[in-house]
Amino acid sequence: MKIRTALRSWLVASLLVAIGCIDAAFSSGGTAYTKRYKTTLLAEPSPQAKAVGELPLAQKVRIEQVQGKWLKVNGGSAAGWVFLGSLSETKPDEGKGFDGTPMLASETTATAAARPLTPAADEYSQRRNLGSASDDLNWMINQCATITPAQVAHYLKTHRKGEYQ
Amino acid sequence: MNARFGLIPAIIFAFAAHASAFDFGSLGNALGNDRINQGIDTARDLGKVAKGIAGIGPEEEKAIGDSVALEIVSRYGGLVRDDAIMRRVNLVGRSLARYSDRPDLSWRFAVLDSNSVNAFSAPAGYVFITRGLYDLATDDDALAGILGHEIAHITRKHALNIIAKSDALTGATNQLVMRSSNARALDSQLQQFDLGIGQITKTLFETGYSPQSEFDADKVGHDLAALTGFAPGGLRGVLVHLQHRSGRVEKAFSTHPPLKARISRLPDEPALLSPALSGNGNTGVGPTAAAQGNTGKVDEDEENFAKGAK
Repeated sequence: MKIRTALRSWLVASLLVAIGCIDAAFSSGGTAYTKRYKTTLLAEPSPQAKAVGELPLAQKVRIEQVQGKWLKVNGGSAAGWVFLGSLSETKPDEGKGFDGTPMLASETTATAAARPLTPAADEYSQRRNLGSASDDLNWMINQCATITPAQVAHYLKTHRKGEYQ
Repeated sequence: MNARFGLIPAIIFAFAAHASAFDFGSLGNALGNDRINQGIDTARDLGKVAKGIAGIGPEEEKAIGDSVALEIVSRYGGLVRDDAIMRRVNLVGRSLARYSDRPDLSWRFAVLDSNSVNAFSAPAGYVFITRGLYDLATDDDALAGILGHEIAHITRKHALNIIAKSDALTGATNQLVMRSSNARALDSQLQQFDLGIGQITKTLFETGYSPQSEFDADKVGHDLAALTGFAPGGLRGVLVHLQHRSGRVEKAFSTHPPLKARISRLPDEPALLSPALSGNGNTGVGPTAAAQGNTGKVDEDEENFAKGAK
């Protein structure tokens, strides 16, 4: 029994150390950046809490409070709680192409998830005789598109991962 | 966790040797994509084309990623077309990717039909794990450790950085003057595109990423797994397991930094979460289905890989 208790304590302690290392960069009074095209701010440090605001990609925020893996942040136009995994220590690349235009938010939706191989890759496949691999990759793209963000969220919730820990 | 352990000097040398022939600044023309060509015109006019990784936008990254993914799938036996396995790797993978530094990429995960023990990633969000390695990931914590490492290669843009380091975009503005309306120029640009993909796949399959890139991916992947709530020692557990396997696995990982060096850099943490900490446990889809197709024979891919790694 004592061994089991000790083992459990070691597991918990190890996890806390790991979390501590990750969180070290995020402390009250510090700053961070949003890394999604839309980051929802919540009224409480809980995924079930009411949404109180929204911030765009690469928005600099001030960290006002830290509670476990949740941070209370102020992004100027909005303030509220976010899960630690929604923020980055460094300003994200906004994904600008040759023309200097950022990737459209619409390209991050389910439609984009089902987007087939680019014409360039199709042509590459033909030049290199990779027809079989091309079939496989298109199958992969279609299969992946059937797994919805809601299903991923359900997995997180039922397995107590991410903001559901 | 992948076949990309090389040395920076080797990569720089390789690219220097091809610098005159390969210019990724011409990629947009080679793509035959009106939108990109339009952008290139704008960039040319405004002189906005920047040297380095900043010049590779989402469209370019997707074209590169698709093409590299084709090569990976072709070289490693195609994909395991099993719905349950696809579901498992994608649920675990996308859970991790959600909290990565590039959460809005179209993340896609799949298992390669190869007995070798390896994993690969390609720009734009493609992650592949061989059946041989998938069979070792008997729990989601181990799988998360493996996938986290590959996700890190993408978020840290290790493959794209190779292109940037190659000085490939030097003189891009001048090169962009060459338009695809000229058949000869188009042919040249297509050759440059193919050469560029070839340089990346050479890194993936032969020379490998630098040890620094691999250690970086180990650390970032470890942190991502822990942040998401998987056991922080998942990756280390897999590496320790591999360390105890004999001969051919070591051969297959010959371009990686020694397992011992990687293990020593990762904290000694639990490879599994206790049931109380892991919610309902795993996805419930173990590697059994994939294992049924494992004949135990030495894979031809692995033999080729070992030869190529010399």
